[in-house]
Amino acid sequence: MKRLVTFCTSLLAAAASFAAPLEKTDLKFGFIKLTDCAPLVIAKEKGFFQDEGLSVEVVAQPNWKTLLDNVINGNLDGAHMLSGQPIAATIGIGTQAHVVTAFTMDLNGNGITVSNNIWEEMQQIDFDLDTPFPEHPISADALKPIVEEYLSKGDKLQMGMVFPVSTHNYELRYWLAASGINPGMYTKTDVGGRTDAEVELSVTPPPMMPTVLEAGNIQGYCVGEPWNQQAVSKGIGVPVVTNYDIWQNNPEKVFGVTKKWADANPHTHVAVVKALIRAGRWLDETDASGHYVNRDEAVRILSQPNYVGADYNVIKNSMTGYFYFQKTDKREMPDFNVFYKYYATYPWYSDGIWFLTQMRRWGQITEPKSAAWYAETAQKIYLPDVYLTAAQELLDEGLIEKDEIPWDTDGYKPATDAFIDGITYDAHDPIGYLNSHQIGNKDFVGTTAGN
Amino acid sequence: MAFLELDHVSLGFGPPNDRTEVLKDVNLQVQENEFVAIIGFSGSGKSTLVSLLAGLQQPEKGCVRMHGQPVTEPGPERGIMFQNYSLLPWLSVHGNIELAVKQVFPRYSRAERKAHVERYIEMVNLTPAADKKPSELSGGMRQRVSLARTLAMQPEVILLDEPLSALDALTRANLQDEIVRIWGEDRRTVVMITNDVDEALLMADRVVPLTMGPEATLADAFTIDLPRPRDRTLSNSDPDFKHLRNRITQYLIGLNEEAKALRVDERKEMPDVRPVDFYATRRTSFWERLRNNDTDAA
Amino acid sequence: MAFKYKLLKAIDVAGLQVFDPVVRLCYGEEPKLQLRRIGLFIVIPLLTLAAFVALWAYVGPRHKTKAGEVPSPAVVLQAGQDTWRFDAWEDTKAADYKRAGQDREQALAAVNARIEELEPQAEQAAAQLAEVEDAYRTQLMEQVKPLYDEYRQMRVDFRDESQRREAELEDRAAHLSGSVAEREAFLDALREHRQWEEGEKAELAAFKDQIGEIEDAKAPELEAARAQSNDLGQELQYLRKRRDQLTSDNLSLKLADAEQRLEQREQAFLQASSGEEALSLANQILAEEAAMERIETSTYAKPWTLPDQIMRSILCVFTGFVLASIIAIPIGILCGLNRVFMAAMTPLISLFKPVSPIVWLPIVFIIVGGFIPEPSDSALLDFFNAIPVLGAYDVNPAFLSSAITVALCSLWPTLVNTALGVAAIDKDHINVARVLRLGFWSRLVKIVVPSALPLIFAGLRISLGVGWMVLIAAELLSSSEGIGKFVWDMFNNGSSQTFAQMFVVVFVVGLIGLLLDRIMIVFQRLVSFDGAPTAL
Repeated sequence: MKRLVTFCTSLLAAAASFAAPLEKTDLKFGFIKLTDCAPLVIAKEKGFFQDEGLSVEVVAQPNWKTLLDNVINGNLDGAHMLSGQPIAATIGIGTQAHVVTAFTMDLNGNGITVSNNIWEEMQQIDFDLDTPFPEHPISADALKPIVEEYLSKGDKLQMGMVFPVSTHNYELRYWLAASGINPGMYTKTDVGGRTDAEVELSVTPPPMMPTVLEAGNIQGYCVGEPWNQQAVSKGIGVPVVTNYDIWQNNPEKVFGVTKKWADANPHTHVAVVKALIRAGRWLDETDASGHYVNRDEAVRILSQPNYVGADYNVIKNSMTGYFYFQKTDKREMPDFNVFYKYYATYPWYSDGIWFLTQMRRWGQITEPKSAAWYAETAQKIYLPDVYLTAAQELLDEGLIEKDEIPWDTDGYKPATDAFIDGITYDAHDPIGYLNSHQIGNKDFVGTTAGN
Repeated sequence: MAFLELDHVSLGFGPPNDRTEVLKDVNLQVQENEFVAIIGFSGSGKSTLVSLLAGLQQPEKGCVRMHGQPVTEPGPERGIMFQNYSLLPWLSVHGNIELAVKQVFPRYSRAERKAHVERYIEMVNLTPAADKKPSELSGGMRQRVSLARTLAMQPEVILLDEPLSALDALTRANLQDEIVRIWGEDRRTVVMITNDVDEALLMADRVVPLTMGPEATLADAFTIDLPRPRDRTLSNSDPDFKHLRNRITQYLIGLNEEAKALRVDERKEMPDVRPVDFYATRRTSFWERLRNNDTDAA
Repeated sequence: MAFKYKLLKAIDVAGLQVFDPVVRLCYGEEPKLQLRRIGLFIVIPLLTLAAFVALWAYVGPRHKTKAGEVPSPAVVLQAGQDTWRFDAWEDTKAADYKRAGQDREQALAAVNARIEELEPQAEQAAAQLAEVEDAYRTQLMEQVKPLYDEYRQMRVDFRDESQRREAELEDRAAHLSGSVAEREAFLDALREHRQWEEGEKAELAAFKDQIGEIEDAKAPELEAARAQSNDLGQELQYLRKRRDQLTSDNLSLKLADAEQRLEQREQAFLQASSGEEALSLANQILAEEAAMERIETSTYAKPWTLPDQIMRSILCVFTGFVLASIIAIPIGILCGLNRVFMAAMTPLISLFKPVSPIVWLPIVFIIVGGFIPEPSDSALLDFFNAIPVLGAYDVNPAFLSSAITVALCSLWPTLVNTALGVAAIDKDHINVARVLRLGFWSRLVKIVVPSALPLIFAGLRISLGVGWMVLIAAELLSSSEGIGKFVWDMFNNGSSQTFAQMFVVVFVVGLIGLLLDRIMIVFQRLVSFDGAPTAL
């Protein structure tokens, strides 16, 4: 029966393709070996790309920098990207290139892991943590005395994140700063972001994290899956918090292409987004009792060596709605990876603005900017029009339901205070949001920035 | 005017304060179609002489002339057969000769060239080994290849530098006859270096001894007016032959003794120095003194 | 007999002298001597290899880190088989895509049968795994729970005790008199308190370690169940994908479909009444024809697998090697011929020779990128992709960068050896050239180069070895598909097989390196005219 359905849909898809001849049909997309590349992999493996008349190759990239470079210089047509990457590239932090996105790949999916020693010290300090099932979320409060002890010895705690403009960097900073620990500021001369740091953050590629943690070069890290579960299964660290607890349903990865590519291949772009929306939907399909029905197959596919390649049972944990915090501490985390629910795939301007506020907060954007600039920049990068065109076609083909897409939104999610520190984020007021934090740059309307 | 001449030629090496004159004031006239043998001891500068004639080296004083023109560079009209064969080890026998033929007779067609090469290989009896590399050949065979190559160039003057020194007696005799025959047929001019008096007598019109080096020079020539073809079986019985051989040999021995005598004179008187006997004045050590005192006391 | 010597000669030229005594023994030539040589050249090396494997099998699994343990030879062999199986599976999927007619139906029937056979097994295995997992977890909890409770109690006790002592000390401090002895006694008491605290901390830590050991203990039963379920799940996944390739994603079916649609449109076009409709339908027909053409030439996008990556690496190293030779040999000849040129080049050679590939690669990347602004539309890439074998392996900027890096790192031995070979040419050979009055080119081609060839080839052989070593690093950095990329991908996977796959690569790289070296030895022997042995 299912075969028949796919068969019909392929007919429909082909029929739809008359209206829009594709500019390019042989495509090459890059990804990093993390479970949240799933929509890309699933769209290929389940034939969603094929249904759009696309022949797609997905190629693992060694690190985020190379991935971005390959997209910019045209070796790749598009890629699985950190949300911050299109933004940073467009406003010129690091490599300068106009990169855009019309599809958010997932929500949540990261965790902060500390080494066993630090965890034990935290347990010494906070009595309540010293059980097999400590209460969550765990803030960095218990970490603060350790940081101070390190500082008194003339040393600084070292923690790893994956890229200067990655979600992980901002989440780790957010978590630390929420407990009054200064993670350091970026300045014009300090591109490492360590000015005034009480904890020093450094870039480490995701797969290296467990190794580097075990070697003692860093005492903790923030990274996507499977690298937190890997630490648990190898017994080298303890995840203390997931980014779901730092900011509920925060945007994580996007599908990025260059502006040039998007302009040259508008119909292909729509076709790609269509396949990705279907992949996201497939990943989040649930049965009547709310269990994901396709995640097991997805895990099976992702564990192939040419995709994520980690062990099936390691990827399985987080992808099927569980998370191990310690070997004996298995918890249900149904929203650890969200691929479609909560309008997850829509390219929200408000998401882009949040990343921009973080870039300003930590000094990657060196000058104060106006609220209008934040909105304009987000509109340059996020392309809801492409997304909605794709969604409309899918709706016409009967492949999605009408209520699954926010048709009439202005691109701003409602203001939310679902953060670990309870501060309200309203994307319409980025300056006010910036100023509501204790640590980090603050901008005052009409004046220059102060710390 | 001589066909090929050395006119007051001198050559040496080393800086001015430590100079070795190899050849000094050498004069030689070779007539067209003449077969001249230069005979001398090893180390007397024979090879240098050939190099000068070939144009591989230039004299410091004097002049080498051919047809009255100074020789400034080597060329195929003066075919030289090197003492150490100088075959190209990556080419076969055929290839080595062909290289020379190709260069000297560029207008030959492929077939002509092949025939020419094969004729000379045949001449030195190497046809079965034509496709072999020099490393697969014995010393004598290599020498024959070298000879064939020199002859195949059909030079006006053939310069032979101890061409038969590495051969066994039988091959040597054969090749001697061969060279003489070729010389006789083509009536070319030959200058041959040798250290074998019999060989020189059998082959040459004129034998010129080279005095002992350093500062070697050519002595007066012996004209060999023995009739040709010369029969080597007669060399022990023919009185003329014996007479000439004795004269030349005597002359050479004389040269050798003269050289030895010169060398004795040069010997330096060594100073009469003996090692000092350090034990004679050695001090007795503290412990020895102690022991000596004991024995004294006893 | 003649055959025997031909065989021996072939063995000699092929650089396989090791087998010389075997052949001679087969012909019964001096059996005693041959046996001794076989012992020395074949048996002893094999024994060493066996000893190495035995040592590895013994030491490997005993060397554990938290990141994993050194895989045993059996595990490595398994990883190698899995890697090859992955390739075979992908090949089958690609073939399935193209299957048509009866062939397709037969394959589909076989796949369906196998799925039916496996599905209940897989379900059973999954159920069993869940059971074992549950049992393991309850058992572990049973074991650990009381310990944790005890630990917690200990911690509470210690804390209370410590607080009591602290209160006591505070009290004492408040009532300290001026007596020196009393103050000293107080200090001692405080010291004692601190010691107590340290001791308690250590005791707690030791207790926790105990719990940790229980938690970390291996559960072979669980692992076995997991492996079984995993294997079945993997195969099922593969079969399901095959089923897709044979049905909904099959080329022949898609074509038939497209044809049918085209026919429908053509019918409609014939009956179109209005000009507007006819135009629209005609456009649709053209689009449909184009789509059909596209489907006809489409293939299954097979991912890169190790055998393909090996082939691409070899091609890449050869490209780099050819490039290195084209640069190094002429420069080397000029250096050997001309002392001025040599003097001019020496500082450059000395400066660039020791630079590591890791430094060259980013520089090369930028330079190559400059020549190829648009990879999809580049004459240079089109040129390379038009070369028969090479073109099948997708030459891209990363490939060229890796090849050029290989060239930059490997040209030095060839350059130096060529210069040496040319400079050391026998004076007699030069004299021959002078007597023959050879011109510059003939002298170069007929005398100089042939005489330097053995040394040039010795240099080339070293260069190829260096190039092969450098290539893996270059591919790893440039993420150019090849063995280096495989290494990096497998490392990134961080799966339980990661380390074993590294070992597989060690052997693959080693064997290919050996093979390349042997090939170069054969060439070297063919050009060496002095008959000297060139290799062990």
